[in-house]
Amino acid sequence: MLRKHLGVGLLIVLLFTAVAPAFAQEEVVIRFFHRWPQEPRNSYFAALVKEFQELYPHVRFEVDYVLNDPYKEKIRVLVSTDELPHIFTSWSYSFAQNLVSSGRVKELSEFYAENADWAKDIMPAQIDGFRVGDGVYGVPMTIDGKAFFYNKAIFEKHGLQPPNTTDEFIALLDQLKALGYDMPIMEGLMDAWAVSHYLGTIFQRILDPAVMAKDYNPATGEFTDPGYIKGLEFFRTLTEYMGPIATAIDHETARNMFAAGEVPIVYMQFAEIKMLQRTGFNDFAFFNFPAFPDGKGNPNGLTGAPEGLMLAHNAPKEAEEFLKFIISYDNMLRFVEADGQFVAIWNCLPEDLDEVSLAAYNLVLESDEVVPWLDNAVNITIADIFMRGGQNLAIGVTTPEEVMAQVQKAAAELRKATNN
Amino acid sequence: MGRAKAKSKWSNLLCVIVGLFLLAYAVVIVYPLLWMVMSSMKSYNEIYRNVWALPSEWLVSNYVTAWNVGISDYFLNSFLVTGATIVLVLLVGSLAAYGLSQYKSRLIDVLLIVTMGGMMISPQVTLIPLYVLLNEIGVHNTRWALILPYVAFRLPLAILLMRSYFLGVPKELEESARIDGCSPLEVYWRIFVPIGKPIMLTTAMLTAYYAWNEFLFAIIFIDSNKFKTIPSGLMNFRDALRTDWGVLLAGMVIASVPMIILLISLQKHLLRGMSEGAVKG
Amino acid sequence: MVRFKKRYNLAPYLFILPALLMLAVFIYYPIIQNFIYSFFRFSAFSPTKTFVGLDNFKNLLEDSVVRTGLVNNVRYAVISVIFQVFGGLVVAAILEDKLLRRVAPLLRVIYFMPVVISISVICFLFTFVYHPTVGLLNKFLELIGLKSLAKPWLGLPNTAPFAVIAVSQWQSIGYIMLLFVVAIQKIPQELMEAAEIDGAGRFRRFFSVTLPQVKETLFVTTLITVTGAFLVFNEPYILTRGGGPGTSSITLAVHMYLSGFFRDNMGYASTIAIVIFLITGVLGVLQATLFRTGKDE
Repeated sequence: MLRKHLGVGLLIVLLFTAVAPAFAQEEVVIRFFHRWPQEPRNSYFAALVKEFQELYPHVRFEVDYVLNDPYKEKIRVLVSTDELPHIFTSWSYSFAQNLVSSGRVKELSEFYAENADWAKDIMPAQIDGFRVGDGVYGVPMTIDGKAFFYNKAIFEKHGLQPPNTTDEFIALLDQLKALGYDMPIMEGLMDAWAVSHYLGTIFQRILDPAVMAKDYNPATGEFTDPGYIKGLEFFRTLTEYMGPIATAIDHETARNMFAAGEVPIVYMQFAEIKMLQRTGFNDFAFFNFPAFPDGKGNPNGLTGAPEGLMLAHNAPKEAEEFLKFIISYDNMLRFVEADGQFVAIWNCLPEDLDEVSLAAYNLVLESDEVVPWLDNAVNITIADIFMRGGQNLAIGVTTPEEVMAQVQKAAAELRKATNN
Repeated sequence: MGRAKAKSKWSNLLCVIVGLFLLAYAVVIVYPLLWMVMSSMKSYNEIYRNVWALPSEWLVSNYVTAWNVGISDYFLNSFLVTGATIVLVLLVGSLAAYGLSQYKSRLIDVLLIVTMGGMMISPQVTLIPLYVLLNEIGVHNTRWALILPYVAFRLPLAILLMRSYFLGVPKELEESARIDGCSPLEVYWRIFVPIGKPIMLTTAMLTAYYAWNEFLFAIIFIDSNKFKTIPSGLMNFRDALRTDWGVLLAGMVIASVPMIILLISLQKHLLRGMSEGAVKG
Repeated sequence: MVRFKKRYNLAPYLFILPALLMLAVFIYYPIIQNFIYSFFRFSAFSPTKTFVGLDNFKNLLEDSVVRTGLVNNVRYAVISVIFQVFGGLVVAAILEDKLLRRVAPLLRVIYFMPVVISISVICFLFTFVYHPTVGLLNKFLELIGLKSLAKPWLGLPNTAPFAVIAVSQWQSIGYIMLLFVVAIQKIPQELMEAAEIDGAGRFRRFFSVTLPQVKETLFVTTLITVTGAFLVFNEPYILTRGGGPGTSSITLAVHMYLSGFFRDNMGYASTIAIVIFLITGVLGVLQATLFRTGKDE
């Protein structure tokens, strides 16, 4: 009798220990940090989080998001502690390099190799933005480009053509002014980053790539090339055409003025195309930043580097699954349809894509040089001097020479600090 | 006779001018606020195209959106932070005020100067070291990162106000309590705290005003959207709603209305409270 | 003075201890750290600090932005004293006049309303008001036929600082005004009545009775306003996105914040903090001395 009870008891215990682990699956927390408190991306990511949780019930998310500028500061602070979020968004090139140098970002070559089937959908050229040294440290999500968008109706009405060189560009602006458009081009210079987008492209077009590479490196940067002064001068000329209200408005307002037909030309990211279309404005096209007559940089370079996702070195396996979940054809297609910006997945386009967007997409794919945003490419102190300098040039309180003098001084200090 | 007439004509003119001046001042204050309420129920396009007009369609939905996008969180955080700050300031401050008012010694004088010295140092100046310190104690990005500095910076003034008041408490009350065998703590709790209610109310009001509106620490010491107080949360709010001016304005109205209602209902107390001690800043 | 028994000798200090602890940790320790930090160069996210001696101070003296900031702070101080202190006093005196007895409470609430509204709300509101094309201010100027005066207020270096300062006045005149109302209400009735009987008109009464009687409040409010002017951060930070365009509307506090948290130079930010501290510290000593003489023990 006793032996029978013992036997049953033992059996039950054995069964329990076999089955128990399934019940005792520990809760895994994933910390996810992105930079979009605004719609539609906020809801998009919230939806993905929810769906992922349905697939993996033992996962709990801690999602946080801060906008653009605070995001840049916060992620740098976070990456210096072990409070680093498990999965977070990041810009590419120098920005990515900076984060990787903390030693806390997960290297992903193995991850790509193990998930080759998933990885084959991703555009290799965009992955390059996340290469640091011998490793790959991120997965590209969105791709972008920035170009001059113009009002087709106005151009057609007066028989105007998109310019190929900067001289033609200035002539075009003069023509528009003569035709009665007081502000032939507009930008929201209150947003310092808008200045850096202009300057980044201008410098890339003018400077010898080798000089640029040397200068943008904090250990060797000198910024003595006269091309910088020429570039700042060109920027100042452009701002003259923007008129006095440019420094009192933000980029958003400038874009809305373009959408309202008040301004014929605006420098805009492809990601904003859908925002224009939402206001009901559709009659626009674009041209790439013109070439400088004796510019040494690649005139076909397209400013606008990819943005993507990175993993912390101690991220749980589930975070990797979440990464693959986000960067998948279906979910990325939903993203494109909701948001409008293009993604780094092959052929991930909605069927009813309009002409302009298609042309933009092709331009991004075809461009043979990706030019990163200036404030991602150089040290923040240098970028800040350029951005404030640009604003000061626009309001006429400084000269290009003065701005460069400040840059050179800061670069000298940076060299000293980096090489010690 | 003529002189009196001229004088009254002159003073009538003066009255009119003064009246116009007061009216203009009132309009300058009220009109932008009214515009804010009116525009909060418009769509972006309407605000952009027609500044003065009444909304063609009253978008009360803007308010719902604003509430959901995060204003409710900001309110909660502001309440928690302000509430905790007030409680701690009153507690810690009144204890210190009691100690400083009831005893006399050279050390007490020194401590008094140390307390007053705290008034000389303004929060902005300690920003960087505080940031590092709060990180080191590990409270960065929690509500304590705001509560602790707020309390510390409001203590000097609170202590001095309450101490002045306590000094005026009749000695007989205290002596009779001592004779009855109360310990100093009991004297504090049973006599000074009840008597000190008016000054505590004033202190609470001044502290509330400071904590509710504090901006610099609020934007730097807290990153997460879910812990932000109103002043700093609104910044995120604006960034999140770049083209939706209507919803932004709705959020601004929601953030302002409670304080205005409080002001209107408590205006008499406000005057009395300021009378008690606000002159000292 | 009540004397407590010997065994309670520790008591007073126990009462003061919590407060003292908070002051020491969150006020005094940081201020000392500030001085130490100014000799180093470090960023928010690197634990390593590099000793740079007096470099930060040298840079400070050569920094034109510091000069611009200081100029703006002084502008702030002067304009705030004129509008808030004197303006507030005048409005308070008017409101306390017999004739306005009925309307005074209403007007007081109206004028005080901006004070209780969050600074973020006020700055966003004025961003709309100052908007170059659809803002209330420019539209209003258009309406009354002064279109030529319409400007991009926050976009030009010679209007931006003043546009920012104006917003502070809009918010704070009411506060100082109420302080004066309180002070004026405390003036003994007999003094006013005596002056009236002597035949003094309103102006005369203001200058010979009101003004001398509110001397203390006048002094204190000037001090508060000037101190505030050297500490101001919120308005320039929000309205012009950190002192723009360029650096024309920057203040010392904004420069300190940007140096520390945007340009990653915490050591330099601490140096700027020392400058602010010296200026406001002196003003604070004045204020504390006044408080002591005001309320005797």
